[in-house]
Amino acid sequence: MNTALINMAMQTTLAAIEPRTIAQRAAESAHENLWITAGYFLAAIVGVALLLSFLGMALIYIERKVAAAFQCRIGPNRVGPWGLLQTVADTLKLVFKEDFVPQMADRTLHMIAPFLALLVPVVLLALIPYSPALQVADLNIGILFITAIGGFGVMGILIAGWSSNNKWSMIGAMRAGAQIISYELSATLALLVVVLFSGTMSLTGIVQSQEDGWWIWRGHAAGLCAFIIYLVASTAELNRTPFDIPEGESELTAGFHTEYSGLRFAFFFLAEFINMFTVSALTATLFLGGWMPFHIGDWTSFNSAMDAIPPSIWFLGKVTAIIFVIMWFRWTFPRLRVDQLMHLEWKVLLPIGFANLFIAAIIVLANAYPYPVAGQ
Amino acid sequence: MGMIRSIETVTAQRVIAGKTISVSVVQRKQTPNKLSIAFNAVLGLLKGMWLTLTYFWSPEKVVTRMYPENRDTLQLTERFRGNLRFKFPNETAHKSHAALLEHITHETQTLPEVASEWIRDEDPTRWYHNCTGCSKCEEACPNASIRILTRQGEILEDREIDRFVWRLDSCMFCNACVLACPWDAIEMTGGFENAVYDRRLLVYCLNKLAGPRINLIQDEQDAAVRARMIDPRERFGGPIPMNGAGLPNLPPVALPAPPDVSTGAA
Repeated sequence: MNTALINMAMQTTLAAIEPRTIAQRAAESAHENLWITAGYFLAAIVGVALLLSFLGMALIYIERKVAAAFQCRIGPNRVGPWGLLQTVADTLKLVFKEDFVPQMADRTLHMIAPFLALLVPVVLLALIPYSPALQVADLNIGILFITAIGGFGVMGILIAGWSSNNKWSMIGAMRAGAQIISYELSATLALLVVVLFSGTMSLTGIVQSQEDGWWIWRGHAAGLCAFIIYLVASTAELNRTPFDIPEGESELTAGFHTEYSGLRFAFFFLAEFINMFTVSALTATLFLGGWMPFHIGDWTSFNSAMDAIPPSIWFLGKVTAIIFVIMWFRWTFPRLRVDQLMHLEWKVLLPIGFANLFIAAIIVLANAYPYPVAGQ
Repeated sequence: MGMIRSIETVTAQRVIAGKTISVSVVQRKQTPNKLSIAFNAVLGLLKGMWLTLTYFWSPEKVVTRMYPENRDTLQLTERFRGNLRFKFPNETAHKSHAALLEHITHETQTLPEVASEWIRDEDPTRWYHNCTGCSKCEEACPNASIRILTRQGEILEDREIDRFVWRLDSCMFCNACVLACPWDAIEMTGGFENAVYDRRLLVYCLNKLAGPRINLIQDEQDAAVRARMIDPRERFGGPIPMNGAGLPNLPPVALPAPPDVSTGAA
């Protein structure tokens, strides 16, 4: 057991030099010692749990502070220094609240739904390359996996709405279903543009293909257009304002999670925020070069200065910027009506997305990038 | 949208029920093309985002007041609607217009000042009032929070204010009484720290003196007669049940002796 631990520690230090995903390392160690594999699994589970709780707390705190700043308020500032412990206090309160199930509700589904909703973003977290040395699994069908699993996310919401036996929950869930399924088309079309450009579906491959320039500007206007479409469509998939009709307070009380309380309500909340992180991380990976530093042509001194910043910091910075933009949307735009929502997707975003994909295909076929790319 | 400007209408002749009648017709606007609609929509979104961003990076626009901590320096605006009180009539009467303007725009008091001032100060010369007991405020009050008790004046032989009873516990600070007052006798202050342990203490007698308006008192030359016109009124006590009086199982609120106003200085 001791030797196994030492082995694992050595491999972890080696990992800094030799970039491999955690899944690869676990698979390799399975030939030598099953304890090491189990150790990797344990490390992964603990890591995900820590990441989830930290992300949830941090994002909720940031959201409240950002909202306050946008509305000329101060935000939470009473619990702990600068209100940092406010989210902890709120979580503790939710833990001790009654876990309420309506009388005529479908008990089993009502209990399962929050976990289904949380499952999707957690699984997607595994695919994201945080830095060259930190990625749980690099699938060669990464993008396909993301769209498939991402589409599964609506199940948690639909089940929650159905099992609550409440008309508001039901209407909210149905709206969420219609909205998520509609906007998935545009999001997938935008993803396909990047797949065309980079010629791979693996997320690490996509990041590495952006070594000479991020797709947002190396793909002419097509890259930028795909970026904007993906941002809008994923905001709609997140059910966030201005696309938050599934939980429109003014008409549906709280939408699909009307009947949830205590920890299960917290799980829906957590799922929403983890989803926001996942979507921002995917946007950063696909369009903004993931952990790749920012380079400008031949400015070698500038480029080396940019290289000095660690890749994980680059990644976090890009994700933070996109999360800020999504929050900025939320505190600026009013909510859309259902018909406006459908109009925007089917009559505006989808045609633009198809045209954009077509233009991107022409750019790739003609190899007409603004500047030549290594290895192409 | 909304109003139709006359420039958008044209006069035309229409045949209605066999008669030719001249009518005014609103010209339909030409619908703008889809491209300009889309452009304007995106422009509107960007404008909105720019506006919220300016809010985001200007901390000086924050409106939140950190109340318990900044109690000593908390500035209350002129328009703040807090506790009701009797206005001292001579406060602004003799000021010039410029001084009055200065007084209005710069009289933002801090909370401790307001709190110490809201039951007028100890100086009996500032206890006189403009109230005639006309009951306009009582009629205007939507919550029936004001009760006016009048008495027959001894010297002037006219009705005059005896007690102006204000129920803080049912007041919603709508300012209707102040607006209704024809004599400018009452005002709303910035005071809002009203927590008490006995709810009888939420019913106030606002006037310090029972008697006629200040100018009627000032018209009287004899100081001895002036002193007979007025009687001191304490904050609590009197015939209104909750106004500090005793209840079943509860003794009356203990009050200090009324101050001496027999000098009649006005």
